[in-house]
Amino acid sequence: MITKQVRYEALVKALHGDLYRYAYWLCHEKQVAEDLVQETFLRAWRALDSLKDEKAAKSWLITILRRENARRFERKRFDMGEFDEASITDNQSLSNEQNIENAWLREKIAQLPAEYSEPLVLQVLGGFSGEDIASILNLNKNTVMTRLFRARNQLKEALEAEPEKRGLYNG
Amino acid sequence: MDDLQFRRSIYADPKSQDEALLAALQADPSKRQFAQELNHLDDKIAQALNIPVPEDLSDKLILRQTLASHQIQKRKKRFHLALAASVAITAGLLVNFTLFSSAHSNLGDYALAHVYHEQGHFSNDANTRVDLTSLNKKMAAFNGNFTNTIGKLIFADYCRFDGMKSLHLVFQGKTSPVTVFVVPKNDQISFSDTFSDSKLIGQSAAFDKANIIVVGDKNEPLSAWQKKLGNNISWSI
Repeated sequence: MITKQVRYEALVKALHGDLYRYAYWLCHEKQVAEDLVQETFLRAWRALDSLKDEKAAKSWLITILRRENARRFERKRFDMGEFDEASITDNQSLSNEQNIENAWLREKIAQLPAEYSEPLVLQVLGGFSGEDIASILNLNKNTVMTRLFRARNQLKEALEAEPEKRGLYNG
Repeated sequence: MDDLQFRRSIYADPKSQDEALLAALQADPSKRQFAQELNHLDDKIAQALNIPVPEDLSDKLILRQTLASHQIQKRKKRFHLALAASVAITAGLLVNFTLFSSAHSNLGDYALAHVYHEQGHFSNDANTRVDLTSLNKKMAAFNGNFTNTIGKLIFADYCRFDGMKSLHLVFQGKTSPVTVFVVPKNDQISFSDTFSDSKLIGQSAAFDKANIIVVGDKNEPLSAWQKKLGNNISWSI
């Protein structure tokens, strides 16, 4: 019992950040992301004995979280066909240029179709290889690589299309 | 590696350590430049993706799990309590059954066993006598009363007759003591009129309040004993 508790707490401490970010990029809402992570870890706790290989913990948790996210749609159809932009922008203080650029890029990433953004998040944030992503998403590796290519391509094009200076110009 | 192939693979994974890709990078400075640009983009993407995580999230997660497992434990405790209770009840019933149920299913078997068990205690020549008054004091528990002395009474006391309080009388017989049991009526033991084994014979008679069982050796006229007993005992209401 105690060792299970210790394992669980270690798992939470090590991976809750990654999982939360991943959830956020899946659903684009902080509150929903938090709920998803909660639900995921609760399920993980119940099934903790089935986790034999600690190295596989991250992809295991991500698989649970994706299932949990899919269940969210089974339960209730959200009117999220076109998410409104306001809900996906980061509303933290935009004090410096880096933050402005981050916020802008976040918007662009959020606008990517989910099938492109998901592998990208897994690769950049999760540090998974093409094979890992393919197995998590149940796709073949070539499809994953193509989607990664298109995701970056779209972001790059969007970045290049953007004028060097952004923001409001008065006068 | 042609240009298209190169672009596809560098876009798909800018940090790839693929040998062909690294060789292509080595060979062409413009490709190196391009790869650098993409790596820069990737850093930006990584930064953008790296949204702040709520500080208390990990604490919340642990708290929720602790509560959930506490619930489970409580349920488990309740289950264990129920289990322990049913085990205790079963054990109780079993003890009750083995201790207080009749080991012998009919009156005769038990009477014989009882007589054999106490055979050594009584001798036919014993001089001890129990008088009528003290006998009737004991008999009062069964709502009965001896009107006259029958034969020579060696011993009279209460005893456990298969778990029931009963009166155990020992009379002097012709060759060996004759044992008389006064046993309250009981549905659990089947009544047997006459019974015997290689040495002893017995007879039972049912009265209103009690059964009277007489056990003696083969020389004893048990019917006469029964008749005498029947004539001399008067039952109060």
